[in-house]
Amino acid sequence: MADALLSGPLVRAPRSREANARLIGFILLHVVIIVGALIMFFPFLWTIITSITPGASLTNSPALIPANPSLDAYARLFAERPFAQVVLNSLLLAVVTTVVQLVTSSTAAYAFSRMPFRGRGVVFAVYLATMMIPLQVLIVPLFVELKTFHLLDTYLGALLPTFASAFGIFLLRQAIHQVPAELDEAATIDGAGHFRIFFGIILPNIRPALATLTVFSFMGSWNSFLWPLVVLRSPELQTLPIALAGLQGQFVSQWDVIMAGSVVSVIPMLALYIFAQKYVIQGVASSGIK
Amino acid sequence: MSVSTAQTSLVDRALPTIATPPRGRSRAVRTRYALTVLAFLLPSAIPLALFVLGPMIAALWVSLNKWNLLAPMKFIGLDNYAKLLTDPGTGEVFLHTVYYIVGYLPLVYIGGLGLALALNTALKGRSLLRGVYFLPVVTSWIVVALVWRWLLSPSSGVVNTVLGFFGIAGPGWWTDPTWAMPSIILASAWKDLGFVMIILLAGLQAISPDMYDAAKIDGAGWWRRLFSITLPLLSPSTFFVLVISLINGFQVFDQVYAMTGGGPNGASEVVVEQIYDLTFRYGKAGEASALSWMLFIVILAVTVIQVRGQRRWVTYG
Amino acid sequence: MNRKLIAAAGIAGIAALVLAGCSAATPAETGPVTITYSNFISNGGNEDNLAKIVAAFEKANPDITVKVTTLPYDSYGTALQTDLAAGTEADVFDINGPSAYGPLQTNGVLAALDGVDGSVYNTALLDSYATGGVQYGLPTSFSDVVLYYNKDLFDAAGVSYPTADWTWADETAAAQKLTDAAAGVWGDHQPVSYNEYYKVLVQNGETFLNADGTKVAFNTPGGIEAAHWLVDKSGTTMPTIDQGQGTADFDTNLFKDGKLAMLHTGIWVFGSFADTPANWDIAVEPGNTAVANAVFSNAVGVSANSKHHDAAQKWAEFLSSSDDEVNVRLDSGWELPTIADTAKLNTYLDKGKPANRQAVFDAAKNIAPAPSIGDAQSEMQDIITGELIEAQAGRETVEQALDNAETKINALLAG
Repeated sequence: MADALLSGPLVRAPRSREANARLIGFILLHVVIIVGALIMFFPFLWTIITSITPGASLTNSPALIPANPSLDAYARLFAERPFAQVVLNSLLLAVVTTVVQLVTSSTAAYAFSRMPFRGRGVVFAVYLATMMIPLQVLIVPLFVELKTFHLLDTYLGALLPTFASAFGIFLLRQAIHQVPAELDEAATIDGAGHFRIFFGIILPNIRPALATLTVFSFMGSWNSFLWPLVVLRSPELQTLPIALAGLQGQFVSQWDVIMAGSVVSVIPMLALYIFAQKYVIQGVASSGIK
Repeated sequence: MSVSTAQTSLVDRALPTIATPPRGRSRAVRTRYALTVLAFLLPSAIPLALFVLGPMIAALWVSLNKWNLLAPMKFIGLDNYAKLLTDPGTGEVFLHTVYYIVGYLPLVYIGGLGLALALNTALKGRSLLRGVYFLPVVTSWIVVALVWRWLLSPSSGVVNTVLGFFGIAGPGWWTDPTWAMPSIILASAWKDLGFVMIILLAGLQAISPDMYDAAKIDGAGWWRRLFSITLPLLSPSTFFVLVISLINGFQVFDQVYAMTGGGPNGASEVVVEQIYDLTFRYGKAGEASALSWMLFIVILAVTVIQVRGQRRWVTYG
Repeated sequence: MNRKLIAAAGIAGIAALVLAGCSAATPAETGPVTITYSNFISNGGNEDNLAKIVAAFEKANPDITVKVTTLPYDSYGTALQTDLAAGTEADVFDINGPSAYGPLQTNGVLAALDGVDGSVYNTALLDSYATGGVQYGLPTSFSDVVLYYNKDLFDAAGVSYPTADWTWADETAAAQKLTDAAAGVWGDHQPVSYNEYYKVLVQNGETFLNADGTKVAFNTPGGIEAAHWLVDKSGTTMPTIDQGQGTADFDTNLFKDGKLAMLHTGIWVFGSFADTPANWDIAVEPGNTAVANAVFSNAVGVSANSKHHDAAQKWAEFLSSSDDEVNVRLDSGWELPTIADTAKLNTYLDKGKPANRQAVFDAAKNIAPAPSIGDAQSEMQDIITGELIEAQAGRETVEQALDNAETKINALLAG
């Protein structure tokens, strides 16, 4: 499959035996990628089909064409008490989390990559260590802590623990490491300080990584379950994953509505991803890396 | 941009930039530098210290107590640790967890790399394809588990039907203690391919096309370019993927909970599942905290080894 | 809201300390109060029904406002445990059955409910939430497990319908005749799990634990026979795990598709069977030497820390036994109320399919008591279910499975 993988468009290739091999590789690559894509798409398709099958249950083999397709499940989903509210709540939390994480991650990553100071290695190790303990065991102490701050059942209580992410800091630090030092040097000679280098050189050059972090931060907040579950109790504050979990009853679950909820919950993330990946790819053109 | 040997360790070496600390200069300049560093660090340091480190230390205290969350705590020193260390079940859940990582990591990395390389080409409709490959990442584990349990159903599943077509008697997958973990690994790698893909795609963008042009002029073939340009220049992203996947792998939970619930009869029970059960179902929050700290130590040790090892293979531009 | 509540609770707490210095007597509550109620029972479709009960209560008690929080069933336990650890639990909260009640009561989380008129409740259900003669919880609803059967399949095979006199042997004989592997029809389905096992033990004259609850008592010839009764159906009259048995909705789908002649499950599937084309009915489960049924109930308790104990208890009683509650439940087909007065339940009997709704009440007359061991309850249940499934899958013999379960659970009971 040769050059198609790593280099420019096929048309540039001269007509030769090598070009034929390249063409075969090109076709093969497409076939593999498209078959793979179908496999990746299948569960989502299955979710959609179940969501438009009235009274669907978890059958052993889902029918690929539902007998009486209907959007009834979606109507019922939105008729659920505060469903639109729940979606808005989730959006609000996800947007705030994402914006704040982009700020806290990029500044910290800059310090860890570009600002030497004594004990930096240890500090970074402590940052990384915050990822290494399971959330399940932190829930109760965190809950008690926020109780003393009187932040239970508030958005702020749900948000504060998500404000800094070692994952994001690490991701951006790796990206900043890849930005050539010569760029900083040139700017420093021009008299730029850290703030100008950060805003003027580093941030524009790590756009792909920032776009990637945007997707992950949003996704992390959008899907988070355990912490919002325990900290947000008022119905008007609840988030989407908790509302979806609420569709599974003690004994009986409405699978069509649950799957409709799944579809609804996937769409904003997919949209964000498709939007963000434009920046992931554009990064090169605008970065000025040579 | 050069494939330089000026490596930075994760922990203690800085890039050779001009912005070195103003050592030896005036006190005012040094203070201003220190304040600048703080300005960059505090926005993240404060939330992490308050809402992660604080609860972590609280959990360390809980681990020295007997506590069922309902009655007051009772200090018992290191008893929880002693109990866990003598319980053969502890070794088992760690073993299952390591099994998961060993199976999952190569699958997801090689798959994700292949995908990133393929979707970084002038493929028709690659935007759409990238979206499709990202779909499983955003789909909930509840749905993914349902589908995979169905695909891997021992008697009527697609996978065993296909295997049967080639005359291979498929295993019992998630119903069989031997195959439960491979089933989870397969589903997890499938789900996370898009995650690795997007990180590596971002990493690939940082590689200048000029590098390839120069290599081509030198007559380097595809594989040569892969090994002498792409992989070395991608190594910071690869390092990131490995460290993160290991940290996440040690904390694997959702997929186990959704696919097998740790069964059959504990054959796929992993550490965090045990922690969850101990805390919220078995009334042993102290033991759960002790197990969490043991897990923490293991993850920390593995990460330190990775960090030490990176000097040999990770190159920053 | 909780924020205010906590602040209020804090102030109330200080006030209480001051008051305690002056007088030991609890002053009678005056003025309007707001109590909180945390629940899962209304989750998944009965939120409006609960709201109706709350409205009726507030109308009858203008001084009391009930603030309701609804949580997903699956995660309710996690949220409740977190609340109890932090001391932020609601005044009144749901208790997910006697097995959840045990640990809560043992640890002093629940307030004693004095002066409850026990006569209005079904005695057996009420007693599952009392300890040492003191009531600590009030049952709000119950369901039981019965034997469903597909009349069409019985007719086609020429087998007579299950009756109240059936024993295990009758069921086995019928199941064998009804199983038609070629047509993909199975005779019987009963889950292999703790919830079934403690019940079939009683059906065979055995118990799960010994009299003082210090050791298991199931590893006996009778207990082994009971385990065989569950396990041996697999692969003969019931599909195996490999064939999908044990996955969500597998059994009910099979029954709905007309491929299953008998099914042991709860009355909660009436609704989803309503549109099934087949003719079906229910009967009380056969026993072997005794009739015993699994009854699942939900209850409410009042927090021992509640600042509004009297108002909270009033709500707990209203939610579990008032006419308003009974009517809302019966009208909506929500789970059954736990009252003693069967006359009030009569409307339930002629609500359509299945015809023999009397079996629901008959089953509740012989309740197999569920073992209750406090903190280690869930762990015990996980152990026995795991071992029984090992036996079902053929990786262990029934005897080995029970030996293993006995060793593990006895170690658990010893602490």
